[in-house]
Amino acid sequence: MSVRDLLSPFTAWKNLFREPVSIKDPFNREASERYRGFHKNDIEKCIGCGTCEAICQNGAIDMLPVEGVDNVKTQPGDSGLRPRIDYGRCCWCALCVDVCMTGSLTMSNEYKWVESDPDKFRFTPGVDKKHWDEYHDGYRRPDGHRLNAPERIEMPELAPRERIDSFVEIVGGYSVEQARLEADRCVTCGICVATCPTHMPIPDYIAAVRDGDYEHGLKLLYESNPFSQVCGKVCTRRCETTCAASHEGDPIAIRWLKRHITEQVPYERYRDIIGSPLPATGKKIAIIGAGPAGMTAAFDLARKGHSVTVYEAQSHAGGMTRYGIPEYRLPYETIQRDIDLITSMGVQMHYNTRVGTDISMQQLQQDNDAVVLTIGLWLGRGTRIPGSDHPNVFKAVDLLHRITEGEDIQAPKSMVVIGGGNVAMDIARSMARLQKQQHGEIDITLTALEDKAHFLADPVEIKESIEEEINIIDSRGPQECMTDDQNNLVGLRTWKVLSIFDDQGRFAPTYDEHDEQVHQGEWVVEAIGQMSDVSLLGEELTEKLEWNRGRIQVDDAGRTSEPWLWAAGDCVKGPDVVSAVATGHKVAASIEVEFAQQETGA
Amino acid sequence: MTEGRGYQKLKAQTSLHDVLEVATEFERTARDFYAALAPKVSKQIRYLVEELAEEEQRHFDLFTELRARPDLEDSVEQMVETPASDRRFSDCIHLPELGDKPDDQAVLQYALGREHAAMEQYTSLADSTPAGPIRDLFRYLADEETQHKNELEKRYYEIVHSGGV
Repeated sequence: MSVRDLLSPFTAWKNLFREPVSIKDPFNREASERYRGFHKNDIEKCIGCGTCEAICQNGAIDMLPVEGVDNVKTQPGDSGLRPRIDYGRCCWCALCVDVCMTGSLTMSNEYKWVESDPDKFRFTPGVDKKHWDEYHDGYRRPDGHRLNAPERIEMPELAPRERIDSFVEIVGGYSVEQARLEADRCVTCGICVATCPTHMPIPDYIAAVRDGDYEHGLKLLYESNPFSQVCGKVCTRRCETTCAASHEGDPIAIRWLKRHITEQVPYERYRDIIGSPLPATGKKIAIIGAGPAGMTAAFDLARKGHSVTVYEAQSHAGGMTRYGIPEYRLPYETIQRDIDLITSMGVQMHYNTRVGTDISMQQLQQDNDAVVLTIGLWLGRGTRIPGSDHPNVFKAVDLLHRITEGEDIQAPKSMVVIGGGNVAMDIARSMARLQKQQHGEIDITLTALEDKAHFLADPVEIKESIEEEINIIDSRGPQECMTDDQNNLVGLRTWKVLSIFDDQGRFAPTYDEHDEQVHQGEWVVEAIGQMSDVSLLGEELTEKLEWNRGRIQVDDAGRTSEPWLWAAGDCVKGPDVVSAVATGHKVAASIEVEFAQQETGA
Repeated sequence: MTEGRGYQKLKAQTSLHDVLEVATEFERTARDFYAALAPKVSKQIRYLVEELAEEEQRHFDLFTELRARPDLEDSVEQMVETPASDRRFSDCIHLPELGDKPDDQAVLQYALGREHAAMEQYTSLADSTPAGPIRDLFRYLADEETQHKNELEKRYYEIVHSGGV
């Protein structure tokens, strides 16, 4: 035995002075900063889209309703569901965190949890309170790390200089490649479906774009919306306002994908894909007004085999979509294709027929099993400020109607528009085109009570109006249409608007009378509001009907207080194409129920 | 209003009694006007005229109660300065033509004009009256009319600037 052998055991003594490598109390060891520990969920930020549930490879997540929790309820943009996680299945891969559309789902760095009841390991983060809810460290999706593209595919459009002197459609439409890329951004959560007034199966038709199965997509569209081509171009797209993708990026271009489907299927195929009506039932329905609500009701009822006749005062169908929306946004041909499809179901059209003049309501009641009133909002409201009775003060809806009718309108060299909604933008942009064609330059001022942030117009409309040289001056209250000594209209006098809403959120503008401006204009066009022309009802029916603050009162099914009469569309719901479609469906369903009850009763 | 009292109103000074009487009369004529108008207008807008009649009735009751208040009994003969707005206010009692079939906008514009005149009247009276219970009364009346006018303005905007178009 050597000396070395004798001494070597004692070399271990040197470790007496070193820090221990082992952990004295492993149960209190803190995990690393970005450790993927137990889940946390900011339930106010979470929208219950269920994308976490869909991506989980272990089926560890279930979306469940939570009740009695503040700030969690089913509302537009929030399903009211929250993810419950089963730690018997979870593998802590964090895909759920990486895909979370709002960034609400994260992981703490807590990793120890002792329970005697195994069911406790199935919990709803954020709802079932845990001590790690307050932990700062843990895993969250790194900045810039996204599983789906945040930016939407840009829609090809005509540049302002290319479009300003004509009514040619601005939007070009997606190519197949562009549409698929955009469709790929959708996580198929379906939050949008509840927001769409007519509950179109949005994730399903977007999936059809992804799959390239356009005929299936078209069938899905027309099952819920016979104005799919129209809505593919001018829908107010509330669906996009609640899109899960909008929380950390651009919303999916749902409207443009709908349009893309309608453009990919040859029109000759539409009728076969949608299918034929059922055999005739012998029931007769009269519909007054051939706008989206009336024609939707006509479509649904005709497909059920009922005999439907539509009475329209104008020479063409489409209502305000034709006579109110300029062609550069919605070509007449697009409207006509939807109308032709609807009438192909056997709907009889009586154009240039004004109910109340050419045929009475009483006659319609007598000749039909049901009557539907879809008369829209055709009368423009006026400010009635001093000077507004001048012949060069116009209502926007009247001017837009004249443009659609192809009337030769001599545009003034300068013009002022009053209003901040889509109709105001539509008339300003239409007249800008006429000015450009006739005078070579544009001089249009648009004034509105609201500040730009509160304009009722679609932000895209505002942006495009500015691109087209419309001079938008917000927060101005009209006071007088001014004339010169020869009674020529010379402009609009306005006051500065200090505020538009009161403390209860009601519309109540206040003005600074000292901040006065005169906006030069040979014409003033008012686009401040619209109302229904109910004169066709006659005094007797007007008295019989129940009204709700100026509008015809209807029940949830769209039925008026007169059992033979239903009402739908803008005249009961306010102006919106897709809402009109939804109410058209509703009255058709209600009439169908009524007929079924009559059959049962008989 | 009689011609004699109309003349009195143009004087430089008038009594609180007269002011309250004119105020009550102002509300009564409005109430009666709207009540008579209601059956004439289309049922579509009748709710609006009926609401106005109810609101004027409430004001009429309020002013009638004020006139009967014992604490004002000693002050009713007190003279107050006739405001510049008095003529306009009195004119509103002689109701202008609104036509047989006014629409909702015309009815509201008319109602707003009346409330504005009343608001100006009581504000002027308050401004020209020394501090004390009488001025407080005028301030109260001015506030009442201002609130009513503000409410009507909101209704006006909601009805006329409607449709979100």
